[in-house]
Amino acid sequence: MDNQVQAVETQGEPIESLRILIADDNDSDRLILQTIVRKEGHVVYTAKDGQEAIDIFKEQSPDIVLLDALMPNVDGFEAARTIKQLAGDNLVPIIFLTSLRDATSLADCLAAGGLDFLSKPYNRIILQAKIKAFASMRRLHETVQAQRDEISLHHDRLVHEQEVAKQVFDNIAHPGCIDAPNIKYLLSPMAVFNGDLVLASRKPSGGMFVFLGDFTGHGLPAAIGAMPVSEIFYGMAQKGFSLQDILREINKKLKRILPVGVFCCASMVDVSFRKHSAEVWVGGIPDVLVYRKQTRQLENLKSRHLPLGVVDSDRFNTDTTLIQLEKGDRVMLWSDGIIEACNPQQEMFGEERVMEVLRNTEDADAMFDNLVAAVERHTGRGEQDDDYTMVEVTMVGEEEMGNALGADGKSYMAGGPKDWSMTYELRPLTLKEFNPLPLITHLLMEVPGLRPHSGKIYTILSELYSNALEHGVLNLHSDLKASADGFARYYAERTQKLNELYEGCVRFHIDHHPVKDGGVLTIVVEDTGPGFDFKSKEENRHKTEGYSGRGIPLINTMCRSVRYLGKGNQVEVIFDWHVDV
Amino acid sequence: MSNPADHLDIGALQDLKEIMENEFETLVNTFISDSQNKVDELDAVLQQQDCDALRKVAHSLKGSSSNVCAFRLSELARQLEMMGKEETLEGADQVLSALRVEFRAVSDILSTNL
Repeated sequence: MDNQVQAVETQGEPIESLRILIADDNDSDRLILQTIVRKEGHVVYTAKDGQEAIDIFKEQSPDIVLLDALMPNVDGFEAARTIKQLAGDNLVPIIFLTSLRDATSLADCLAAGGLDFLSKPYNRIILQAKIKAFASMRRLHETVQAQRDEISLHHDRLVHEQEVAKQVFDNIAHPGCIDAPNIKYLLSPMAVFNGDLVLASRKPSGGMFVFLGDFTGHGLPAAIGAMPVSEIFYGMAQKGFSLQDILREINKKLKRILPVGVFCCASMVDVSFRKHSAEVWVGGIPDVLVYRKQTRQLENLKSRHLPLGVVDSDRFNTDTTLIQLEKGDRVMLWSDGIIEACNPQQEMFGEERVMEVLRNTEDADAMFDNLVAAVERHTGRGEQDDDYTMVEVTMVGEEEMGNALGADGKSYMAGGPKDWSMTYELRPLTLKEFNPLPLITHLLMEVPGLRPHSGKIYTILSELYSNALEHGVLNLHSDLKASADGFARYYAERTQKLNELYEGCVRFHIDHHPVKDGGVLTIVVEDTGPGFDFKSKEENRHKTEGYSGRGIPLINTMCRSVRYLGKGNQVEVIFDWHVDV
Repeated sequence: MSNPADHLDIGALQDLKEIMENEFETLVNTFISDSQNKVDELDAVLQQQDCDALRKVAHSLKGSSSNVCAFRLSELARQLEMMGKEETLEGADQVLSALRVEFRAVSDILSTNL
C-alpha cells in the first residue's frame, strides 16, 4: 500500500506545501490525521475544538481547514461559518471530518460552508487527492481573484483617465458661445468620446461661426482629433480669420496628424446678423437643413465636400453656399447619430422621419424639442443616447446678439494694440536681404478686428514698398517695363543695383487710431531717392496703364486717399476700415 | 486471547502502523486512555438516561475506533449512538457490556502489537 502511495505521488507534479489546520476533539483521530498530512509535506496546525480552530485561523490564516463536525464548546458548523466570514473574499476550502452519514447532517456541513467531507476511518489516498484538488481550486480562485482585481484596477484607471481626459477636452473643446440665445443644441457630456464635437464662436465682426464635427471611431482615438480642431477654430475665429481659412487650416492639420481612415465629417456655418445671411460648408455629414419661417419650407444643403482630414491642402475645396436668412429662419446642423438611432427592432430613425417631424411642427420654436422627443420615442430610451448631436441656429437681429466677444461687456476691440504709431527704417544691408512685409503685416494684424482686411493691407504695403525701393532708392525707371524684354532688363538691373547698394533707405511711418467699429490706418512710405514730379503724373493718370504703374490706381480704389508728399519721395495712404467686411 | 482478526482489520492496521512509524505507540496509548474515559463516560450517561450525551460520546468512540481499525468496537459504539439518537435505551446496558469486553480485547491486541 505504501508503494502505491509513492506511485501516486511521483506521477503528479511536485506536491505543493500547504498550511493546513486540523480541528478534532478526539486525540487519537487528530494524531492520525496530523501524521498523514504532515507526511504529505504540509505544515499542520492542530486545534482541539471549534474555538481553538477559529483562534488559530485568525493567527495563521491557513490554506485548507479540516474540521470535525461534532466538537465541544464551538462545534464544527459554527467554526466553519466564522472561518468563512473571516476569510472574506478568499477561498479557504473547509473539509468536514465526520462519521455522520445521514443526509441532513451532511447538508448542514455544506450549508455551514464546507466544500467536502472526509469520513472516518481516514483513507490516506482519498485525503491526499482531496487536499490536492482543493489546493488547485484555491489556486484557481486566487488567479481569478487576482485577475478580477487587476481588471477592476484597470477599469478604475481607465475611468480616471477618461475623467482627466474629459476635463482637458472640456477645457479645450469647449462649445464656446453655444449658450447664445439664438442657439439650441443637443450634445451629450461624453460626446467627445463618441467623436462628436460642437464649437461656436462669435466673430470679431459681430457674426458667428458654428461648427459640428463627427470623427470616425469611438473613445480616445475619436476624441484626440477634437483638440486641434477646437484650438484652430477658436484661435482663428477670434483673430478674425474667415471660414475658408479656418476650414483649410483644420483640414491641413487633421490630414497631417490623423491616421488613414480617421477623419472628421463636419459642417460649418458663418452667420452674419448684419447682412442676414449665412455661408454654409458641408463635408460628409447629413444635409444641413434651412427652415424658412415665412413659408415653413425646408431646404436641404447637401454635402458637397469630403470630410476634413481626407485630402491634401491643394485639393481641399472651401466653396460655400451663401443663403439669405430672414429673422426667425433656422439652420440645423447634425451628425448621423439621430438618423441612425435604432428602435428595439433595429430599425433606424432615418432622414424621412426627421423631415416628417419638422414638417408637422407648426411652431418653429418647438421644432428642435419635438425632434429630440420623437427620436427618444423611437428608441424607447428616456435618456438621450450619447450619439445624438444637433445644433439649431436661428437668425436674429444684430441687437439681440449683444457684444461680439463675451457677455462681460468686453468688446472685441478691447485688448490688442489699436492706438499707436511707429517708424521703421530699412538701411542698405537690410534692403539687400530682408523682406519687411510679413513682419509689418503681422504687426498690423495684432490690431483687433483688422485681420479680415489683411489682403488689402498687404497689397498696399507691397506696392508702396516696391515703388520706394525700386523707383526711389534704386532709381529704376518703370518705363523699362513697358515692353516684354524690358521687363527682364528691369529685373536684372534691379538685382545688380541692389547688390551694389551702400547708401539710402526706406522708411515706414505707420499710424493706427481706432474709431467706432473700426479704425484709420495711415501708412507713409518715404525713400531717399530723388522723388518725381507727381503733380504732372496725377494729371496724366492714363499713363499709369500698361505693364507698369498699375499699383497706385488699384490702391486708390481701396483707400480713402493716396497722396504724394515732399518732392515725390513720400507717399501717404489713408485706409479706413470697419468691422463689417 | 481470541483471534485478532475478529476484532481488528489487520491489513489496515499494518498500513496505519507504517504511516505512523514511531508515533504508533503514542497513538495506541492515546487511543486506549481516551477510549477508557469514553467507556466510563458511557456508563455514567447511561445511568443518567442522558440520551443526547450518549449519542455524542458513542459517536466519538465510533469514529476513533474505526480509525484504529477496530471495526467491531466501532459497530457497538454505533449501536449505542443510534439508541441515544432514537431515545430508546432498551438493551443499551447489554450493548455497553459487550462494548466493554470488546474494548478490552482491542486494547490487548493493540498493546501487544507495538
